[in-house]
Amino acid sequence: MLNEFIYNIAVWLDETRWSTMLHESYYMYNWVESTHVLTLMISLGMLFLIELRMLGLALTDVPASRIAQRLNLPMLVGFSLMIITGILLVYAVPVRSAQSVWLRIKMVLMAGLLINAILFHKKLKAAGTDWDDKPRAPRNLRIGAMLSFGGWAIVVMCGRFIAYDWFDCQYTDSEFIAFVAGCLDDQTRF
Amino acid sequence: MPASLLGPYTRTILVAAVLAATLAFALSGARVEVHTSLLPVFEWMETTWFGYIGKTWGAAFATVEAVHLLGLALLGGSVLVAEGRLLGVFLTDTDQGVITARCNRTFNIALATLVATGVFMACGVALKIYYLPVYWYKMLALGGGASFHYLVRQPLVERGPGEVNPWLLKLIAVASIMVWFTVAATGRWIGFSG
Repeated sequence: MLNEFIYNIAVWLDETRWSTMLHESYYMYNWVESTHVLTLMISLGMLFLIELRMLGLALTDVPASRIAQRLNLPMLVGFSLMIITGILLVYAVPVRSAQSVWLRIKMVLMAGLLINAILFHKKLKAAGTDWDDKPRAPRNLRIGAMLSFGGWAIVVMCGRFIAYDWFDCQYTDSEFIAFVAGCLDDQTRF
Repeated sequence: MPASLLGPYTRTILVAAVLAATLAFALSGARVEVHTSLLPVFEWMETTWFGYIGKTWGAAFATVEAVHLLGLALLGGSVLVAEGRLLGVFLTDTDQGVITARCNRTFNIALATLVATGVFMACGVALKIYYLPVYWYKMLALGGGASFHYLVRQPLVERGPGEVNPWLLKLIAVASIMVWFTVAATGRWIGFSG
């Protein structure tokens, strides 16, 4: 039911003129994809530095809360650009993207990481600044940083795997993969 | 009285000369000869274990690609924070020397990750990239970027406060951001040119 709904939405998007134009435009599509990858340097770059600081692995002689506060805005700008270009990439190839196992795992992970980020910021505020000059953050913040680091590493991995057609609906023989990807028996678009 | 004929910027001027010579070489006919002589090296790369794994095990290749991207993210973060500090955009209330030195440490780790994973990936698609002009542009950008970082930027940034004109440091910061985004963009473009 849900998979059919997602498929129908994807087919409707696929039939729009802009989706075809974006997909067929060699330069436009590649520029959007390049921007999506390059914004990793801003979004995850800033995030990794914040997390490495919490874990006591980078910038240990700079107050941790200062790093977290000052790098937050550029990180959010990077993530915004990444989300916009990501939506455009899905829009360019909607049916295949909607039925990509990797994109589905990525979306679930990103939802989890958003919750983790909200909790992390709450804990950061609650922790005060007593520990600020210590090389490592309190244990609960370190756990949040590790979860985020590991989670984003898997998100990047899933993002990279989307480009490969191993589990595409028209190629997979596995019922489990077909179930996770939301493949439909009578689908005509891939 | 400067100790060198070229004054305090001897190394910078020499690196600029080397980069100019490299660019001239890249645009000259001698490049074709060197390119041809490198073919056996790329053929050999495909026969190594890295080449074998990269060609036959797609999941391993894709995983290494992802680690390459993580290295790129860390490199981007290090460059942007350090150069942002030099430009007076980030962490202006923290000592410039501390930020640039600490970011240089993460930059080194990120660059080492990128080179290690890059070598593995190159082995898997050695003959493909050998014939791709954009791969050579990337190598040129990477070589230029690393030379610029270690031979020009670092020595200037490591000098004490007031020893280098602040505008020169800002110029260095802008150049550094541009160089590393160019390296990343040319790297991404390799994927589109197959």
